[in-house]
Amino acid sequence: MMSDIRHSLLRRDALSAAKEVLYHLDIYFSSQLQNAPVPMVEKGPIELLEEFIFQIPKDRGSHSKRLTAMQELQLLEILCNYFQDQTKEPVRQVIFSSLFSPQGSKADEQRMALLGKLTSMAVAVCRLPVLECAASWLQRTPAVYCVRLAKALVGDYCGLVPGSIQTLKQIFNVSPRFCCQFITAVAALYDMSTEELIPPHDLLEMIVSWIFEDPRLILITFLNTPITANLPIGYLDFSPLMGLVRWCVIAPLAYRRKQKAAGGGPVVEEQNLYSKLHLSVLQGLMVLQTHLTEKSLYGRLALILFDQLVPLVEELGQLCEELNPLNAEQEMELALDRLAQALQVSMATGALLCTRDDLRTLCARLPHNNLMQLVVSGPVQPQPAHPSLTPAYYPHIHTPPLGYPTLPAHAALPTHAALPTHTALPTHAALPTHTAIPTHTPIPAHAALPTHTALPTHPALPAHAALPAHPALPGHPVQTFMPGMTFPFRPMR
Amino acid sequence: MSLRRSMAGLGDCEFLVRRARELVKEDTCAARAWLITARTLYPQDFNIQYEMYNIERNAERTASAGRLLYDMFVNFSEQPVVWREIGVITAALRNDLQDKQTQFLRGLFEALPGRVQCEMLLKATEQCFNTLERAEMLLLLLRRFPETVVQHGVSLGETLLEAESLEDQDSPVNCFRKLFVCDVLPLIINNPDVRLPSSLLYKYLNKAVEFYINYVTRSPQTDPQHQGSQDTSDLLSPTKRSSQKYIIEGLTEKSSQILDPWDRLFKILSVVGRRCEWQMDKSTRNFNDLFHRVKELCRYISNFDNEANAKYKNQVVYSTTLIFFKSVFQYISAIQPSLFQGPNTPSQVPIVLLEDISNVFSEVDISSGKHIHKRRKLADSREKTMSSDDEDLSGKGRSRHVIVNKNDLANTNEVLESFKTARECWDILHSSEALDKEFSRICIPWKTDTWLWLRIFLTDMVIYQGQHKKAINSLHLMASLQGSHLPTQQMMTQGNLEQQRSTIQLAACHFALGEYKLTCEKILELMNFIVPPPQEVSKTREEQSKVKPKFRKGFDLKLLPCTSKCVMPYCLQLLLASIKLRAFSDNRDDMALGHLIVLLQHAWPRGENLFLKAIGKICQQGNFQYENFFNYITNVDMLEEFAYLRTQEGGKIHLELIPNQGVLLKHHTVTRGITKGVKEDFRLAMERQVSRCAENLMVVLHRFCINEKILLLQCLA
Repeated sequence: MMSDIRHSLLRRDALSAAKEVLYHLDIYFSSQLQNAPVPMVEKGPIELLEEFIFQIPKDRGSHSKRLTAMQELQLLEILCNYFQDQTKEPVRQVIFSSLFSPQGSKADEQRMALLGKLTSMAVAVCRLPVLECAASWLQRTPAVYCVRLAKALVGDYCGLVPGSIQTLKQIFNVSPRFCCQFITAVAALYDMSTEELIPPHDLLEMIVSWIFEDPRLILITFLNTPITANLPIGYLDFSPLMGLVRWCVIAPLAYRRKQKAAGGGPVVEEQNLYSKLHLSVLQGLMVLQTHLTEKSLYGRLALILFDQLVPLVEELGQLCEELNPLNAEQEMELALDRLAQALQVSMATGALLCTRDDLRTLCARLPHNNLMQLVVSGPVQPQPAHPSLTPAYYPHIHTPPLGYPTLPAHAALPTHAALPTHTALPTHAALPTHTAIPTHTPIPAHAALPTHTALPTHPALPAHAALPAHPALPGHPVQTFMPGMTFPFRPMR
Repeated sequence: MSLRRSMAGLGDCEFLVRRARELVKEDTCAARAWLITARTLYPQDFNIQYEMYNIERNAERTASAGRLLYDMFVNFSEQPVVWREIGVITAALRNDLQDKQTQFLRGLFEALPGRVQCEMLLKATEQCFNTLERAEMLLLLLRRFPETVVQHGVSLGETLLEAESLEDQDSPVNCFRKLFVCDVLPLIINNPDVRLPSSLLYKYLNKAVEFYINYVTRSPQTDPQHQGSQDTSDLLSPTKRSSQKYIIEGLTEKSSQILDPWDRLFKILSVVGRRCEWQMDKSTRNFNDLFHRVKELCRYISNFDNEANAKYKNQVVYSTTLIFFKSVFQYISAIQPSLFQGPNTPSQVPIVLLEDISNVFSEVDISSGKHIHKRRKLADSREKTMSSDDEDLSGKGRSRHVIVNKNDLANTNEVLESFKTARECWDILHSSEALDKEFSRICIPWKTDTWLWLRIFLTDMVIYQGQHKKAINSLHLMASLQGSHLPTQQMMTQGNLEQQRSTIQLAACHFALGEYKLTCEKILELMNFIVPPPQEVSKTREEQSKVKPKFRKGFDLKLLPCTSKCVMPYCLQLLLASIKLRAFSDNRDDMALGHLIVLLQHAWPRGENLFLKAIGKICQQGNFQYENFFNYITNVDMLEEFAYLRTQEGGKIHLELIPNQGVLLKHHTVTRGITKGVKEDFRLAMERQVSRCAENLMVVLHRFCINEKILLLQCLA
């Protein structure tokens, strides 16, 4: 069948062939989706796309045709329009996935280049469907690729034309889900390990303004994702929390280091932004607690992994040693205060699952800090471990003005096929989990067959929902985002 | 050990709050982050939460401040600080202030969910021991949460009524009654879930009617603060007067203002009526419908004492009472607007109801006097059976015409209609013993007998009915009320005779009763207050009323502006009419005749016939002595006539018009040529008099009344 299509396309020029291949695959996946809730993405369609969208010649002999800049623009328009016109979310997702999921082949370079341009264009012209697909892509694609997409967007909007950041900024009102994933990717990209990896001012300012306006933003992906017990390593986190905590903690010292090297003046404006960001992160954690409690997940699901904290604390320790403590006392104090606060609030809100003894060990080598001391020893009157037993305190944020659209999770999951191994968790029996894969090793599309066999055990999978209500967590609906984010007044005494 | 631990805990909290405080100025976000952390460590610590709340409050973030306030309300309700704060917020809800802080506090409260507001208000109410504040707080609750009305509505109402009597309020227009009538009562009676016995409904209705009537008819001087600042120009301008802010003691200015009081009262009446199963149409929307319904009921129900008719009796009495007082109010506010505070018709002159006496110049005098006597008798007989079918008078009484100059009263028809409706209501309320008793039962506790404005109406009503004796009693009652009612502002405005209203009416009533000396006394008393108008303008006025000669049969009434300009001519006519009978009586009375001639100058030549009649009488007598002649007669026609009388052709009448002329004459007869000297004096006097004819006649006549008071009274003795 694919070869029939291919033959009909070969005679066409590049653009009409591109259009045509989308048309045929659209029909193909639509009918697949009618038969199976999760369509198989086989080699055939991907090869077709590589040949007719990314212009990779199938026959080794023939030359790679390069599109002119104009043609490329037209191709982007064709893609953009396709996603805009296709009303069925699952079909869009399958096509997007087939187009842009890295295959470990030569075509990946072109894939990433075109994806960067397509996303950039969608931002510029506010194409929600593309942004939503990109958000899902960021979730199920190894982090190395996500970082590249983030880099492309930052390059387009934070460097080329001054003021163009405003275009990106307004995406907040279009696709908060994309924004959330974008932040996660950006936080992974700029890890502050070197001066170059300090986020540019405009970017920082934009992200802070987003989160400060509504701290729930950082939880969107998490809340829209079926529960899995552990984060897949090598992929982006479910929330930018950890990355942002890192920013806030490292920032005072990182800027100090930069300042020392460059001899520039103080960066008060930046530091105010980090202060705002830090507050927003804590507020986001408070919101998280409400959700975890509501869904009886408190204490069972960590958003900040203890293992992730280890390098952060180590790095902080090194920075403290590195910078002359006499000169950077204030910055050190601030960094340690923030770390202590983040640890305490994460722990109290259930985002971090560990004991105070673990923290004591973790932070043992850090310079002394009063608050850290207090956090490590814990409150004088021991607090009950579970929040349902503690008197309630409520998220310290203002009631947000905006209601997020209810979005289906990353709908159809063709990646199931593409993803490495899914091993079922003992606690969440039926849920596939991404287990550790050191780096993203390209895996042929047909791999991972064991999970495929597991899939039929979800008999009632509706076409749209990726993973429906978790059998082990009946009270946790997959989809409703922030169910009735009303005033959570619950007198607890 | 445990003590040491808890001490350390205390230290922790202090440390955390202190750090937050240190940071709040330079970096609020950092301070808030500290406090969030602190709260996760010590959720039971009040100071941490309070500090958080303070930061949100100072930054005027309503939603988050509200949330924190609620946390404190739930978890730290024993903290006085929390109560103080809730007190501040509820106070902001109650007052009228529009400043930023107050608005923020209101917004803060609004940001709380309804249930929380409800709880907070209830708890705050429990903590409040001042009846008024407590009531206002509960009202906030009842208004926002109608479901709480069932539980708290009636008890709040009763508390207010109790407070009113406990605090011994001297006026029904007090803060407690206002809150009860205007704020609580509508909530109670409009809530279908609140069950109320009729007796209670009537009690409440009674309280409402009393309040609204007293509110509407409150006098403008209630607030002594504004007295000092008032000057004459303020008094002259009713619009300025009405702009004064009226404040019921204990309430805010906003709460003291009641818009459309009559409409509100009518609504209460109709709701109570519906609840008490009165005979009402759904379409009963206004006073007219209501009145119509009452009249129908009166037609069908003969015995209101019947138990089965009790609710209709109440319907008739309450509806009629309401219509009565509203009509009276409308009438009085048109004829004496200064009595009431509020939006009076601008620049409206007070007006007085009087018998029309423009027939004084007619020649059919003596018989008309008799007529008046006859009328009086009939009227007095009617007094005893006021509502009986006295064909003669009640018929006449109802159809009596009231002359009004359109320039004096813009909305004449409405005013006369109100007057009529009020009289009809009064008749209905006294048409049976049962109604009469019920009406009295309502009026006595209200002390309606002390209501000056009602007294003014009742007086006008009996004047209208021609019951002048009753009117005189009523006017005396009014004088006693006025004593307490009118402070020092008397006579502040020149030519405004508002305060002499009753004196004018007294004079007219005495006249109608044929009590001429008393009439004269009252008029001369009045003259002290009258400022003679610059020109005699009454001519045009009289001419205007002459347009309808058919009505002017002596039974008409007129509404006359209480100004010197209008009242003085009326007084002069009364005086003229009083003296006329004496002057033309069979006994010779040159003094009376002279006075008459002086008075006839007014409105000349309308009194020409009477003047000629007087001349005729002088000719008959052959001589005439009136030594005030040259003091007060400046009318050229008259002077000519008298000059002529002395001539051969005139009949050679012997006139003694110069003071002491008689004595002089006796003295002169001894020597020759003396008569010639007298003649000369007369001629000179006449010549001088002619030159005076340009003098303002009203000034002359005013001087006449003031100077010759004793002589005038003498001649009527």
